[in-house]
Amino acid sequence: MRNLLLVAKREYLEQVRGRAFKLTTFGLPAIFAVIIAIGYFSSLGIGSGRHLAIASDDPALAQLLRSRILGQKDSKATVDVIAPATPADRQQLVDKLRAKSLDGVLWVEDSASAQPKATYMAPSAGDFLMNARLESALNKALVDEHLIKGGMQRDQAAAISKGIDLATYQVKPDGAVIKSNAEASFWKGYVMAILLSMTTMIYGMNVARSIIQEKTSRIFEVMLAIAKPSDLLGGKLVGVCAVGLTQIAIWLIATAVFFATPLSASVMSGQLSIHISAIEAILFPVYFMLGYLLFSSLFAGLAATCETEQELQMYMPLAAAPTWLSFALIVLVMNDSNSVWSVAASLFPPTAPVIMFLRMASETPPAWQFAVSIGLLALSIVAVLWFSTKLYRVGILMYGKRATLPEIFRWIRYS
Amino acid sequence: MAIVELDRIHKAYENKVAVKELSLTIEPGQMFGLLGPNGAGKTSSIRMMIGITMPDSGTVKLFDKPFDRASLERVGYLPEERGLYKKMKVIEQLVFFGQLHGLSTEDAHGRATSWARRLEIDTSLDKKTEELSKGMQQKIQFIGSLLHNPDLIIMDEPFSGLDPVNAKLLEQVLLELKDDGKAVIFSTHRMDQVEKLCDSICLINHGEAVISGKVRDIKSRYERNHVIVEFDGSAEFLKSSEIEEASNFSGHAEIRLKPHGDAQRLLKEASAVATIYRFELVEPSLEEIFIRAVGGKADA
Repeated sequence: MRNLLLVAKREYLEQVRGRAFKLTTFGLPAIFAVIIAIGYFSSLGIGSGRHLAIASDDPALAQLLRSRILGQKDSKATVDVIAPATPADRQQLVDKLRAKSLDGVLWVEDSASAQPKATYMAPSAGDFLMNARLESALNKALVDEHLIKGGMQRDQAAAISKGIDLATYQVKPDGAVIKSNAEASFWKGYVMAILLSMTTMIYGMNVARSIIQEKTSRIFEVMLAIAKPSDLLGGKLVGVCAVGLTQIAIWLIATAVFFATPLSASVMSGQLSIHISAIEAILFPVYFMLGYLLFSSLFAGLAATCETEQELQMYMPLAAAPTWLSFALIVLVMNDSNSVWSVAASLFPPTAPVIMFLRMASETPPAWQFAVSIGLLALSIVAVLWFSTKLYRVGILMYGKRATLPEIFRWIRYS
Repeated sequence: MAIVELDRIHKAYENKVAVKELSLTIEPGQMFGLLGPNGAGKTSSIRMMIGITMPDSGTVKLFDKPFDRASLERVGYLPEERGLYKKMKVIEQLVFFGQLHGLSTEDAHGRATSWARRLEIDTSLDKKTEELSKGMQQKIQFIGSLLHNPDLIIMDEPFSGLDPVNAKLLEQVLLELKDDGKAVIFSTHRMDQVEKLCDSICLINHGEAVISGKVRDIKSRYERNHVIVEFDGSAEFLKSSEIEEASNFSGHAEIRLKPHGDAQRLLKEASAVATIYRFELVEPSLEEIFIRAVGGKADA
């Protein structure tokens, strides 16, 4: 145990003093913040600054539609109205689209009928957010027109069709009813799941890379004459895990400090309001540790069979598969965090850490599910560690070429 | 008390026998040479000696007890495949090795500094290992294997890559350790070094001990039929009927006489055509003994 701790301490100090640690500790959250900010702020501007034309056989509807589009949040569009429009106008508008003097044309016909027909033409086919904005504006304008035709004032009609915002509340298992924000919860779960999977992968790969480097530098022969292979492997896993936990602790403290400042109140308000609960703050390092140990112990064994980092790349799909699978299940989990599939994925060891955090974003799962998922993860770690130690014992002394699969099976049988 | 006792140890990998029924005993205060060409089984034997790998059969005893990891605290090992943590400072690295061997931080630090002074690398203690030359790194590894004052020192090709001055320095340290009663095992394929330093040897080929025993005893078993001649003048005498084989290096000739060849007659023939500065009848070198023993079937 003494040697295991000495190896862990050496590994920890070497990594914490390294440039990579400083870069990921401070750079990774910064990169995330920038990516999320870019995504958020650029989405605010979608559809704005466009030059649109509304062509309709009904001038009143066209004007109502124009005011609805201009009244939309963050809309900075320029909207021309052509009403009543003729087939000749249509050809002219298409020509303008081709010449790029217009960004889009909304053509509304049969306005007098119960089911008017609307067509949107634009040079780009994939602007689905713009389509959604126009559809909403058109529906509201049609309601406005019906209400006005029924004798209502324009202001009254606009107020009625404005709609209402739905306030959401979550009923906690203890009976407490708290205000919730589905969008913010989704983003919180998503960001935590990404951070969890990235740190797990980064530190798991660190272990693998470090083993290959030590194998290349031939330090193992010296170390094996002093310490047991299990101490060397265990020390490395513990040391790198401590590095990851240090990084997470820095992030959590930095987050806590940020939330305590007045700046957070102004930035994290409204739609962005995010609250990290105590259980999330506790379980994040726990699931990091378990996910990391599962991943890194597998890769420690595989790394011992490789000669170079390039050879290790061959196993990368194996490393990324649980993350791909977890993120492929996002929609399913966020829609129904208690479905059989969501529960099963949160108990299945390779996907448990990420899926559990995605589920927690919607609703805290029952305690027994945490217990089972942690228990299963712990059992898988023991099994993978058993397999990896066998590979490690033999692999670190094999130089010259990457082991083939039959060789790997033979090593497991021998050691 | 035997420091190392190998009794018919055997190790095979798939279809290759690495070590075949090898037995040897090493006493305290003995400099023991484990010799053989590359791939003969020297490193495999050492690995079994210190528990890095286990023999398929046979027994390993260290310090008169069946092998157990605790006895490794009395063993210093410098492997042929050398490595260091490149990003660590030299002193941190040495203290780490010392701690792994059971020393306290202070003790390891003190011993590392003292050894560094002895091997003339004390000015590099605060440098990162990657900043040092290969020879300097080798000295660090050498110190790392001796920090805990082991009773058994195993050195696998300790002088490879060292310049003559540093090789001499390390040789001297090893001889001092031997005089202190430590057992030193010295594995190499450089037989000239072993001949100079070791009192006992074991020659291995294809995993099997070909010759073993005290160097003096082994050499005395062979006839003195080698002659070294240093001369000035004609080399015609090298065509003498007394000679089986001769190499002439511009005035320095190494000669093997025919069985029952007459050295005195050769001296007469040589002095008739050249001025002789040295004419010495010598024992065969370990290299020649080895070649004779394996009948030229070594892998090296």
